[in-house]
Formats: sequence, C-alpha cells, structure tokens
Amino acid sequence: MNRLVNFSLHNRLLAFVLGLVVMAAGYWSYRALPVDAFPDVSPSLVQVFTETEGLAPEEVEKYVTYPVEVAMNGLPGVERIRSVSNFGLSVVNIYFEDGSDIYFARQLVNERLQEAREQIPALFGDPTLGPISTGMGLVLFYYLSDETGERSLTELRTIQDWFVKRQLQTVSGVTEVLGIGGYEKQFQVEVHPENLLRYGLTVGDVIERIRANNLNVGAQFIERNAEEIVVRSVGLAATEADLEGIVLRTEGGIPVYVRDVADVGVGGAVRRGLQTRDGVEEVVAGMVVKLYGENSSSVIERVEEKIEAINRSLPEGVRMVPYYEQKSLVEACIATVRSALVQGVAVVALVVFVFLGGIRPGLVVSLAIPFSVLFAALWMGYLGMSANLMSLGGLAIAVGMLVDGAIVIVENVDRRLRSGEGAGSKLRVVSEACGEVVRPIAFATMIVVTVFAPLFTLQGVEGKTFRPLAYTVALAMLGALVFALVLAPGLASVLLKTRTASPAQGAGGMERMVRGYRRLLAVFVARRWLAGALAAGLLLLGAALLPLLGSEFTPRLQEGTLVVRLTMAPSISLQESQRVTQIVERRLVKIPEIAGVVSRIGRGEVGAHADPVNSAEMYVLLRPKEEWRASTQEELGGVIRERLGRVPGVLVNFTQPIAMTVDELLEGVRAELAIKVFGEDLDLLKSTAEEVSRAVSTVRGAADVQVDQVSGTPQLIIRVNRNAVARYGINVKDVQATIRASIGGEVAGEVFEGVRRFDILVRFAPEYRETVESIRDLIVAGPSGLRVPLSELASFEEVVGPRQITREDNQRFVTVQSNVLGRDIGSFVEEARAVVERSVDLPPGYIVTWGGQFRLQQEANRRLAVVVPVTLMAVLLLLYASFQSWKNAFLILLNIPLALVGGIAALAVTGQNLSVPASVGFIALFGIALGNGMVLVSAINQLMATGLGTRQASIDGASLRLRAVLMTAATTALGLMPLLLSTGVGSEVQRPLATVVVGGLLTSTVVTLLFLPAFYEWFAATPGPEETHG
Amino acid sequence: MMGQARVSRMAAVDCWSSLILTLFIGALGLACDSGSRDEPEALPPPEHSQAGNTDEQQDELVSFTAAEIEEFELRVAPAGKAIIERFIELPGVVRANEDRLAHIVPRFAGIVTKVRRRIGDTVKSGETLAVIESSQSLSPYALKTLLDGVIIEKHVTRGEAVTPESQAFVVADLKTVWIDLSVYQRDLTRILPGQPARVIAGHDLPDAKGVVSYVTPVVDEVTRTAIARIVLDNPDGFWRPGMFATAEVTVERVEIEIAVPITALHSLGQETVVFVKDSTGFRPRPVTVGRRDAQWAEVREGLAAGEPIVVHGGFTVKSELLRGEFSGGHGH
Repeated sequence: MNRLVNFSLHNRLLAFVLGLVVMAAGYWSYRALPVDAFPDVSPSLVQVFTETEGLAPEEVEKYVTYPVEVAMNGLPGVERIRSVSNFGLSVVNIYFEDGSDIYFARQLVNERLQEAREQIPALFGDPTLGPISTGMGLVLFYYLSDETGERSLTELRTIQDWFVKRQLQTVSGVTEVLGIGGYEKQFQVEVHPENLLRYGLTVGDVIERIRANNLNVGAQFIERNAEEIVVRSVGLAATEADLEGIVLRTEGGIPVYVRDVADVGVGGAVRRGLQTRDGVEEVVAGMVVKLYGENSSSVIERVEEKIEAINRSLPEGVRMVPYYEQKSLVEACIATVRSALVQGVAVVALVVFVFLGGIRPGLVVSLAIPFSVLFAALWMGYLGMSANLMSLGGLAIAVGMLVDGAIVIVENVDRRLRSGEGAGSKLRVVSEACGEVVRPIAFATMIVVTVFAPLFTLQGVEGKTFRPLAYTVALAMLGALVFALVLAPGLASVLLKTRTASPAQGAGGMERMVRGYRRLLAVFVARRWLAGALAAGLLLLGAALLPLLGSEFTPRLQEGTLVVRLTMAPSISLQESQRVTQIVERRLVKIPEIAGVVSRIGRGEVGAHADPVNSAEMYVLLRPKEEWRASTQEELGGVIRERLGRVPGVLVNFTQPIAMTVDELLEGVRAELAIKVFGEDLDLLKSTAEEVSRAVSTVRGAADVQVDQVSGTPQLIIRVNRNAVARYGINVKDVQATIRASIGGEVAGEVFEGVRRFDILVRFAPEYRETVESIRDLIVAGPSGLRVPLSELASFEEVVGPRQITREDNQRFVTVQSNVLGRDIGSFVEEARAVVERSVDLPPGYIVTWGGQFRLQQEANRRLAVVVPVTLMAVLLLLYASFQSWKNAFLILLNIPLALVGGIAALAVTGQNLSVPASVGFIALFGIALGNGMVLVSAINQLMATGLGTRQASIDGASLRLRAVLMTAATTALGLMPLLLSTGVGSEVQRPLATVVVGGLLTSTVVTLLFLPAFYEWFAATPGPEETHG
Repeated sequence: MMGQARVSRMAAVDCWSSLILTLFIGALGLACDSGSRDEPEALPPPEHSQAGNTDEQQDELVSFTAAEIEEFELRVAPAGKAIIERFIELPGVVRANEDRLAHIVPRFAGIVTKVRRRIGDTVKSGETLAVIESSQSLSPYALKTLLDGVIIEKHVTRGEAVTPESQAFVVADLKTVWIDLSVYQRDLTRILPGQPARVIAGHDLPDAKGVVSYVTPVVDEVTRTAIARIVLDNPDGFWRPGMFATAEVTVERVEIEIAVPITALHSLGQETVVFVKDSTGFRPRPVTVGRRDAQWAEVREGLAAGEPIVVHGGFTVKSELLRGEFSGGHGH
C-alpha cells in the first residue's frame, strides 16, 4: 500500500492526469444517467392483457385466463403467476425473479402466448403483452379541452385516438399512449326485431349481408397500349347511407334494405371507463407510458415539445392540457438532493478550511468530494443505475465521510511539515506522513463499506429502495479511498507548504481546546469506573428511550400530487359511478387549495389499469404551496380529508400516483397476516374463507380480520333448456348467437375513413334489450320460419356472481387478512393455525396457506440473523487485521452501542420513528464510529510503541488525534445538515437518516474522545511480539 | 397500523437484551416489516356494524344529513295507490275484414264488354261494375257489387272470357279492418277477447285503439302461434290490408293499494328491499313484490300504505349500507 502511495507520489503528473480523466469520464457518465424520482421498485413483471367483450368473470377465467396461465408454467425464472379475471378483461401477471432481463422475459412470455392463443376460442379475445414499462412508467396525463364546446365526446375521442395518440407515439422513449373517456366512434346498426320478423330475416342475416357488402378488392392489372392499368374494385361502405342501402333480401324484385329493419347511426362504443373534470364535464384523456429504462425527464420534455406542436395543428378551440407529469417530481427530487449535496460540499469545505487553518490544505481535502462523487457517477453509469432521490441521496450522506481519508492524510502531512521536518526532502516527509496513516484509512474505508453490506441483502421494495443508496455510498467511499491513496499525497506535496515551527493562525484556539481536553481526559483515565458508569448510564438512557419510539416502514415519499381514490359498491353502473364521482369532484373544487380535479373512472384502453367501473382515481391539482393553509403535503391531505367529509356509500382513500401504481403491481395484501384459501368452487371458497375468518377472529390479538370480497356483481343467467330447443329443432348455439347479437351486439366489419377505421356494430335497438322483460321476449328464429320467444327456450335467473376471480399458482384463492395486536405474531400464527385446523373442516382439495408481511419479515430476520453476525465478524476481522489485537478490536466495537444511544435520542427528541432510513442511518453511524475509534486507538498504539506508559499514551494519543476526530465528525455531521433541514420533495425520506447520524455522532464523538482512551487500559494490546502499526 | 407499531416496538425491546447484534437485526427487521407501508387512510366505516347476513341487515340504519340528501338527490315519497297496467306486445298484420268482403263473380260464362269501375274505386251496393255478354243468351247482364266498399281486386278486362269460376272483383268494406296478431304459446292463456289494445303502425305513424275480439282456437303448425284479432275502425282508410302492425294488448289493469315505483326496489343479499325512512334515517325493509309493470310494482308484504320510502337514489343508501363489505381492497 505504501508502495502505491510512493508510486503515485513520484508520478504525480500521471496521477493528476488520471484523476482528471476519471473526473471527466464521471461527469460525462453523470450527464448520461437516466434520471428518475425514486428508485423503481416495480417487480420484474410481464403482464398479459386480454379483452373479451362482454364475458363474465367465470367465462373469462375458463376460456382465457386459464389457457394463458397454463402456457406460462415452467418458464425459466418465473417466480409466481397471478391472475385476475374481471368482467370482460383477463390480466395475467407473470412475476420473474428480481433482476431478470425484461426483454428476455417478454420474449419468453410471447413465445408461450402463441400456445395460449390456440387454446382461446375465436372471438374471445387476443392476449397481448402490456406496455414495456414499469409502475413508474405513467409519466404524463393529459385531457383534451374543447373551448368551443361544440364537439361531441365521440369527435374528441376520435381526435385523441387517430391524431393525438399517433403523434405522441412517434416521440422517442414513449412506448404507449392509452386513451380513455368520451366514446369510441362506431357505426351502429340498431335492429328492430319486429321488422326482422316481418321480412323473415334474422340478426345473423343482417350481419352476414353487411359483411358481404363492404369490401375492396384488388384484381391485378390489365395492359393497354403498352401501359399497365391497375384494377381495383371499390365496394367499401363509407357512410351511414352506404350501410343503410345494403340489400338484405329481394322478394319479387322488391329489395329489403338495411334501413327497412334497422336505424343506422354513428354512436359511441360500449365503454368500461370514462374521465371527468371538476364536477362539470366529461373529458377525453390520455396517458403517456414511458419505455422501460428511459430517462423520465427527457422523455417528458420531448413529449411536452410534441404537445406544443400538436396543439398548433389541432382543430380550432381544441387543446391538449397536461394535468399530471412526473417531470416536476423528478426535478424536485433531484433538486432536493442536489442542493443538499452542494450545500453539504460547501459546509464540509468550510469546516475543513477552518480546522486546517488554511486554503491549501482545505483545497486538497475538498477536492476529495468532487473526485469521489464523479468516481461514483462513473460506476453508476457502468452498473446501469439511475440518478434518483436515493442514489444521489447516498452521495449526499457520504459527503462528510468522503473527506475523512484526505483529512487524515493532509492533517498528518501538515503536522509533520509544520513541525519543521520538511526541511530536508519535502517528498520524503510527505511519503512518510502518508505511510503512517494509509493503513488505518484503508481499513476504515473497508469497514464503512462492510458495514453497509447488510443493506445489499435487503429484498423486495426495501431492497430496491435502499440498495442504490448503499451502492453509491460504497462507490463514493471507494472513490475517496482512491483519492486518499493516489491523489492526496501528490496534491499535498504540491500544495502544502513547508513551514518552520510556527503555529498556524487560528490554531491557537485549537491549542486551548487540546489543553482543556487533556485535563478532562486525565480525569476519566484516572477514574475508569466513572467512565464505565457514565457509559452504562448512557446505554440505559438509550434503552429507556427506545420503547418510546414508534415505528414505521419508510416515511411516505411526498410526490406532490394527491390522488383521492373512490371505491364504490361493486355492482354500481358506470353512469351512477360518474354521478357520484362528480359530486365528490364538486366538493373537492370548493376547497381553496385545490385548483382542479381530473378523475378516471374504470379503465380505458387496456395496458395500464384494469380497474372496474366502481373505482375512481381523482387527480387533485393543487395550487402553489404558498397558498396552502398547511405546510406539508401530508398535512394538506389531512385538511382536504376533513373538508371532504363523508361520502355516502363510497370508500375514500388518499394516495399518490406512483405509490398507487407500484402498490398495484406488488402483492395485493398489505396486512401482516394473509391466509389464502385455495380451491375450486367459488361459493365453497367463500364460505370456507368466512369460516377461517371466524376462527381466526377468536384468537387473542386478532385485529381487522377481513375476507376478500369476491362476489357482488349481479348476473342474469340465461340457461338454455335443452328439451325445449330440441322440441323446436333449434341448436343451443343458435339461441346463444341470438342472445349475443341482440343484447351485446356483434361487429360486422369496419367503416374506413382514410386510414381511420371504425367498427360496425349490429345489435338490437335499446328498447328491445334493456330490460329483463324485453330480453325474455327476444325472438329466436328456428328452421322453416319458426319463431320462438327466448323465454320459451331458456330459463332466467338473477344471481349475485363473482366480482372477479383471482388465481395464483393455477388455483383460485380467496384471502383472509388479519393484523395482530399486542402479541408476538409468531405465536399468534401458531395458535391461529391450530384453531383453524380444529374448527374449520376443509373440503377435500382445499388448501390453506399462511403468508403475508410476517412471512417476509421472518425471512428478512432469518437472512439478517446470518448477515449481521457475518458482517460484525468481518468488521472484527478487519479490526484485528489492522491492529493484530483482539482487545483493540473489541474496544473499537464498543463504540457501536454507545453511538446507537445518540441516534435513538435524536429520533426521540425530533419525534421521528424507527424506520428503514433510520436503520440505514445507524449503519452509516457504525461505520463512522468505528473509523473514529480506529484512528484514536492506532494513535495510542503508536505512542505505546515508543515506550510511553499506557495512561500517558492514552492521553497523548487522544490529544494528538483530537483535531482529526473532531474534524471528521464535524464534516460528517455538518455535511448532513442540509439534508436534515431540507424541506424539499423527497427530504422526508432522508431526514430520519440524517437525524440518526448527526445525533449518533454527538455521542459517538464523546465516547471516542473521552471513554475510549479511558477504557484503553483494559483493552491495551498485550505488549509482545507484534510490531507497530500504521 | 397500530398493531404493527406495537409489535415492532416489542421486538425492539427484546432486541435490547442482547444489545448490538439483535438491535441490528431489530432495526433492520423493522425495515422489512413493511406491513404498514402504504395503508391508505380510509374514512371511518359507517356507524352501523358490518352486514354479516341478511337477518342483521334488517336492523341496519343508515343516516344522511340534509345536505347529503340534497347532494345525492335522494327522494322520498310515500308508498301508495297506483294503477298497474301490464301489456303484451304482439306482432301482426292488417287484413281486410272478412265479414265485410265480397267476391263478385259472373253468374254466366261470357265475354266482358264493358268495365265500368277500376281498382280502388269506391262503390255503393248494387252499383254496376262491369257488363258481360252471356255466351249462352248472348245478352248483356250487369255485374253488380254486393256491398258498399272499395274495389281491392279486379281480374277482368274488356274482351276477356269469364266463367262463373273466375273471380272478377273483390270488394271490401275498409271502414273496419282486422289486425291479426300472432300469439305465442306462452301468452295464449293471457290473451283473451275483450282486452283493450293499442295498435301501432310504427315509423312515427299514428296509433289506434281497439279491442281483442277473437282468438283462434288452434295454433298454426309451422309458426306455433295462434291468431288474436282486433277489429279496428278505419274511417279514413289509413290502415291498409297487408301493412305490418304491432299491438300492445293490455292484459291486466288493476289498481294496487300499496305500490312503489320500481326504482325503489333494490336487491340486498338474496332479498328485495325498499329503504324506509324514519326519524333517524333509512332502513332496508324486505318486501314481497307482486305484479309489476314498467313503472310500478305491487308490494304484497312488508310495507304499509303511506310509509315514506326512497324512490330515487336508493343505490346510495344501499352502497352506504354495504360500504364495510367492499372495503376488501380492489384486489390487484
């Protein structure tokens, strides 16, 4: 290691050039990093959507979901297959192992989808892959505003689907644009059944004739006079009149036209969702989906440019109005961490200048920051990480630590030079000074990186959230090490001046401080038991404070956009859903902080959402923060919730766009305990789940026990009576064809307007299909002119059917959720299991599984139970390797619990909770505490080696390193101040971390400086064969 | 959420006992305790207990403020008398009234010498339509109509040889026409002579009123339908034989003592309920529904005359009642 230092010292120019190259490359890499708001926590997931017009959940499951699921079984890397069969829509989620290549996964799924397609009956839909995107891919939402107010929703939707969408899709980085709201234009042939009867026709005839009279064909070419003339026959229907004029049948030379049996008009297609605004109007809207791995903010920028261009070419009065975009969030997040980083750098530099008492040493040390940060950026680019709140946050956290190595080097060099040793060869002095400290620096860095190791083992959402932070901290620390070893000696030799033994200006204060410190330390060294008692007291204090802390997972990232989510009764109609949503909208827009509300009800084009019509997501557009009555978004949420009040018959949740989308892609169950009942029969499943729920409720500690609501959608079941159809000589299929065509309608081709194409839908006029009574009266045509009303052929039954069917691992399941209050979850689960086993009689083939968050927690604990001791062992080994003494190593480890106390106290004082970021703070704290301990112990050891007595060595050594310890502690703590005090977007995640580190550093520094030297005597390395260190 | 906090706190306390190591785990284990991660905060559930089964639902009360009632357009009206009129809609055709139809045939074979009237002419009984020269007596005789009406068929031209078998003219009195309706098997018991009916020509043409006068005692073997006949007055000749028509036959018209609009009926569990208002709020009341038409339903059991019930916006009441039940997440 010393050789490396010497080499770089003697080839300073080469080192500097290398340093510059690294920094330039790092900067270039930083510019190219994809920028996101947060780390993307979406699972590696491929979604398969199948739209099946008008099919009930049971049929969707049977004909579509099941074949798709089966085809996906056994794909490499698949973790889990979960599906939801809704009315008219099947969604199969194929979860791959974390870190799988998404394109490879999609390719695998696509290959297998071919098999599935063959299994799905014709007309039951075509499975397609979801957009190549993630939960954070919905980057921009817009709606079309029509100032003239003259255009119909159908016209606006046509503009959206055929102009706006096509234009936006050409923007690089956009993978999909999904429209919703208004009506998709459709040519509707509304048949009057009595007219069919009179002319002896059936709906089937009408469909067939329309299909047969709506074609263009090509017929190659003819030659004329050495020229080729292309022949085409044009027979496409282009207008309503064309469709009306199609002849259905000719009787005695008199044609029966479509218009004789039906009304032809342009109307809106059946829809399962819509979009409203401010409680006043329905709008047509769209969402832009970002391609996987693209840079959010630059995609949004390009989209916004495109929107401007589109707005210029839209018809008079029509405008695209974006109402949500992720760019501001991304920018706000990045701005938060960037300013924290910049301020941190400034503060650290200031501290360094003050402590080192000069521009030159300060400069050498400060240079460590840009170098390490850019070094990290270089590797981030190489590892394909994105710049976001967490990864840049890691750098902001590390700022104070980055300079530690350089400080130690510069401080030592400066001290040596100042003491006048540099009179001979400056280079030699520098080399020696560096050589003394390089080993502890390297070990200290290694220990910090090692301490962060448990973070790398975090799984799932936490892992994805905090791993980038751990990575950047580790990378920046490595960068700092490289700087300390390769660049700092060279820079020091160039920049630091040899001075004669005159105390530097400003060092006088330092001297006084050292003197005071020596006196205090002498007291503690003399009365070690006092130090011991104080330390024990501190520990007890920490122990007393700990139970006062609440706990939470991660403080919610405030995205700056509020979403109010409404869940209405499952049987609600779209129209009623719209009415209720608009009532809520009107309530919301009355709240002064709210500028507007745009709501999505149900779903539009498939690809992003699969919500049924009883669900509405309301994007609340807030006025600028200055006009709020609340200071934070969370508080504002509270204000709004209060003002909104109760909404009868509606469940109201407050959430945020990204959190909501990501949650949907993750596991559905948020309770601690999720008991899944797997089985075949839906009713039996439901009743079994209810039994399980009753049984679990009896166990002490059970709270919020809830069975997933799987039913609740009314169905009209038309059961064809086989005897009846046999008597009339009609096939079941004929009856069903009539039911399908008359009620649901059937597409009989398309009308082309240029390249735009619109479906021709044939169905009965509304009055003949809108009530159960009229459906009973539908006439089924039999052979030889027979006419039979449907009620003669089928029985009618109204039942409450499933709302949706959820499946996992190829089986239907219903979830029973529960939280656990006031007792240990492990024993609760054990007892609940026993109770369920005893009291619930499981039907054969039915399985109960016990999972939920507690399982994840157990797994995490098991993993950590291995990782943490291993980490501590590694740290211990590193310490031992450094000091060749177990006693020293243990002495330094003693810093950890005492550092904890400060962190806990800081949390308690600021009223924050124990959370993941706080844990990360503790981890960082351990690293710093250990580092400080090492510096001190090694100094004392060195003095011991010169033959000083233990006590004297303790006091002298500690005094010698006082400046360095105080400096590293100050840089770290003050470097975190911007993060601690920031109120920007995303700061709420970093704050607990900063709090813990700052608080912990206070106690840790005290411990290092006062107790550690005092305890040293107990832990002094047995003088013996070992050589001096450092 | 609270539960989690406490559990984790307990875990953390345990941790303290074995200090560093477990605290480390505790801190991180907590990290993985993502249970409370994203629990969206919901409004407190409605004040009533959760609807477990339908028996309990009977006791369930939902109340609204006046503002909410206004906002959600809840309307209350007393249950009371209404006329329930039930129709059956039947397809039919317009035919000439066969009781007022005359086939005019030549008495003797002969040659037509004169044709006095053309098709569509209105004729009086006894009027001469054509003159035929008998082949036997070679003397002309007049072919006269037998009733007042309109010539709807004419099969003679001058110089044509006719025989007593040939049907020279058909004269119909179109002052009345028949509307022959096809009656399906299931409706046969319900369609009876004497029932009033509205005859609809469709295409925005005016309707007419008539009465079912006759139902055929046999059904057609091909179409399996019987014919119900309405004799319709046709003073201005609007209803022309051969036209299609549809008839709404009123099969029942009764005054009901306790009737509710069908918008007041809701399904709750396996039952049909109405929401009854009292001084405290709204309660679901299971009812037995009897006859119903497009607007009204008869309540046979469960409701007294004059009780105030929700006639509009009942779905809001139902949703509020069931809100606790559909809170089980939206499932994906």
